[in-house]
Amino acid sequence: MAEPLLALREIGHSFGGLSVLRSVTFDVPEGGIVGLIGPNGSGKTTLFNIVTGYITPLAGTITYRGAVLGRDSIQQRGLQGLVRTFQTPQVFEQMTVLENVMVGCTKLTRTTMLQDLLSTPAARGQMREIRDRAEAACERFNLTGLRDLPAASLTAGQRRILEIARAAVGEPRLLLLDEPSSGLNVQEIDDLRDWIVRLSEEGITILLVSHDMGLMTIARTVHTLYFGEIIASGDMAAIQRDPRVREVYLGV
Amino acid sequence: MTLRTFLWLVPCLIVWAVLPFVVPRYMADLLVFTGIYTVAGLGIGLLLGHCGIVNLAQATFYGLGAYASAYCTVMMGLPSIAGFLVGAAISMALAYIIGRPILRLTGYFLALGTLALSAIASALFFEWDWLTGGTLGIGGIPKLNLFGFLLDRPSRYYFFVWLVAFACMAVARNLVDSRSGLMLRAMRDSSTAAAALSIDLQALRTKVFVVCALFGSLAGSLFAHHASFVSTQSFTVDRSISFLLIPVIGGATSIPGIVVGALFVTFLPELLSKLGDIHQILFGLALVAVVVLMPEGLVGAFAKLRTRLAKRGSGHG
Repeated sequence: MAEPLLALREIGHSFGGLSVLRSVTFDVPEGGIVGLIGPNGSGKTTLFNIVTGYITPLAGTITYRGAVLGRDSIQQRGLQGLVRTFQTPQVFEQMTVLENVMVGCTKLTRTTMLQDLLSTPAARGQMREIRDRAEAACERFNLTGLRDLPAASLTAGQRRILEIARAAVGEPRLLLLDEPSSGLNVQEIDDLRDWIVRLSEEGITILLVSHDMGLMTIARTVHTLYFGEIIASGDMAAIQRDPRVREVYLGV
Repeated sequence: MTLRTFLWLVPCLIVWAVLPFVVPRYMADLLVFTGIYTVAGLGIGLLLGHCGIVNLAQATFYGLGAYASAYCTVMMGLPSIAGFLVGAAISMALAYIIGRPILRLTGYFLALGTLALSAIASALFFEWDWLTGGTLGIGGIPKLNLFGFLLDRPSRYYFFVWLVAFACMAVARNLVDSRSGLMLRAMRDSSTAAAALSIDLQALRTKVFVVCALFGSLAGSLFAHHASFVSTQSFTVDRSISFLLIPVIGGATSIPGIVVGALFVTFLPELLSKLGDIHQILFGLALVAVVVLMPEGLVGAFAKLRTRLAKRGSGHG
């Protein structure tokens, strides 16, 4: 079997003596959609924070593209193609929708502060490229109509879609989506599902955290986290049949 | 450029060009100061409006620029350009060295950090009298000589200062519209999300702090050649505070707002002083009124008023 894009081995973490993750081990194969479910407080977001570098785990190792992610910063991980969204959407409130998406492309180009201050042809060219890419992304994610509105005026659902567009535009290799469907209406969830599948078909690997069992059916493999431990793994049908999952999570 | 901006710009330029010849000398002098303060205020505005950073240390860089110009020309007999360059180099180096550690702080703590820098610099300007002349200062700084044209009167120096100010405004505008500007505003709105999009907050903040120091130093050098004399009184914490007022009053995200703020802090105290001893209280009240009633500054308030009038107009028509 090919080497997985992301491999978590024995990840453990605790906050002030309270153990939140215990020897979590699983792989995210290249090109797939991997789901992570679990009740509130089971450690899903902490795991996201560990993978993306917001938290340094107390135990275990993360291997990404064959190399151990040791003390790499959030930014370095981002440049290597690890991009996330947040459980509570973090949009840039005072900037327009288009500008928000443009920020997502800034890492694809390089200008120095001096070039920017003097507005050199290179700096302007890169800015045009950023704008073109962002406009295309707005079109793709049905945001064109909202383009020039400040992000502060968006609904919860629109913010989530904006956040996904902003993450997807930066050419991620592994996209980590934290509860992408919460706050969205039925139509928006349908669109979201299509977009995620399409992104995956384009070669972006996706790690999806969600409560939404309907959305989870697009995941090839689903891992169930319960009080910091993986209690079941498999496709969604198998997960739904698993007696432990039914007991602790689905409540039946 | 649209026709509308063109029609706006032409009368403004004419007024700008004629102004120093028609106003009394003391006013021409104040207009020179407005230009100098605009340069210093632009740096503070970039930090405040686009990074959300309160910088109370601009008098430090203003002082470094002024002393560099004074020392290079008077003590060492070097040409004026040397003072500008030495001041800029020292200011930028200091901003980089101090900026790296203190820009890790945020909010009030960062503001206090910059205030401390200003207090220390102000004390050193006083103590290191072998370099700065202490309270006696350094006098006899020559007027600038531009290719044989001596800028010895406020009405002449006015044009030079304002051309520098316009150039600085253009540079600041470039920064705001650039990729760096985009990343700065992202960082100001949500540093968590900006980090997730690979924006190196620390490096970016430090760079803007260095640019701010460059503007401060440039303003200081311009001041030295205008006043011909520099001493510690000009570079105290008070001066840092009045520099901070410029973007706060004018509107921190707006570049014309910086000019409005600079006009406010140079002209208002002067005009109010005709009213006698009460003028400082009145200036304080005017400040409080602007900050409380117009949180986005005078330019922000004006823009709001215009949209409201436009709405009312379209509502009736």
